[in-house]
Amino acid sequence: MIFRAVEDADLIRKARQGEVEAYNLLISRWEKRVYNYLLRIVGEREDALDLSQDVFLKAYQNLRKLDDPARFAPWLFRIAHNEAFSAFRKRRPEGETLGEGEFPGLDVPASGSAAFPIELSIAVTTALGRLNPEQREAVILKIYQGFKFEEMAEILECPVSTVKSRLYTALEVLKAQLAPLNSRGVT
Amino acid sequence: MSCSPFDLRDYLFGELAEPDRRQLEAHVHSCAHCNEDLERLRLTHSTLLALRDEEVPQRIGFVSDKVFEPSPVRRAWQSLWGSSPKLGFASAAMLSAALVIFAFLRPAAPTPTTDPAKIEQQVSERVTAAVAKAVNESEARQASKAAALLAAAEQRFEQEREGDRANMENLAQSIVVLQKQVNVSKSLLARASLEEPR
Repeated sequence: MIFRAVEDADLIRKARQGEVEAYNLLISRWEKRVYNYLLRIVGEREDALDLSQDVFLKAYQNLRKLDDPARFAPWLFRIAHNEAFSAFRKRRPEGETLGEGEFPGLDVPASGSAAFPIELSIAVTTALGRLNPEQREAVILKIYQGFKFEEMAEILECPVSTVKSRLYTALEVLKAQLAPLNSRGVT
Repeated sequence: MSCSPFDLRDYLFGELAEPDRRQLEAHVHSCAHCNEDLERLRLTHSTLLALRDEEVPQRIGFVSDKVFEPSPVRRAWQSLWGSSPKLGFASAAMLSAALVIFAFLRPAAPTPTTDPAKIEQQVSERVTAAVAKAVNESEARQASKAAALLAAAEQRFEQEREGDRANMENLAQSIVVLQKQVNVSKSLLARASLEEPR
């Protein structure tokens, strides 16, 4: 008997044929990543969960439009990005954008552990709050989601050079913000 | 300012190609300044990772509902379009069926004769017919050309005759006028001789 790991592409194919269970399995593989991405963007657990459900529903409805199943991750996060920013637009008056230092993630109580003390989590959340929304999203996609520049460009619908510029500017800000913490040897 | 041959941040994020990565590692190994820069970046990176992923508070899932499921026919159709091998097999089957049907339905092609005498006769007949046709066409062309030339010559001759006739009439009128002048002259001469004093 030969065991073969079920690939996302197999699940996508089956889900396209109407197999809901295959799609549920696909969700179970991606829900944590999508939820945490949205949580760091919108800053509210309840909103992040609602948006995650919307993202997976939209993805299911549009699964046929996905040309290359190997590009599922950037395609799914593109939907998540659109959902998150459309929720922002609904919440805020027209023309008003989320400014620097208004990171909603500040409302998320930071969770600590033995390896990562709560003080550090709070400091990181505060440092992320100093970034503008584009820079913050670039950091989230690269550092917390591990996407390649090319995939980030696909998700954010902008050139790779723009993605790099946002990320590297953010990194300079974060380096300066977290330097005192590092010099005290908190990590 | 870093003197590294490549961006240290690209290296940190695993965005460098293998040869570039090795070259940068060799440089960082020998350059204290770049080594320090890279360490600072690594420290920032690991500090950021202190913010851990949270568990999803509630599992996301969809319930299968017959109302939303496609019909068996549609599922079979979608399954066909979703699978390249199935689609390829179906295309090949349709092509084979089309070939078989065409083979049965097409009209029988005339069997070519292989007898040399017959072929020679056929060729000879075709050549004779072709020559006769060419001769007839040539004669017809010549006849039509001759008729056209004849008609043109007759027309020209008629025009010349008309011209001659007009000239003759003019000449006759001139003679009549001349005759009248002679007669007048004669009568004047006669009158003059009568009136001449003796």
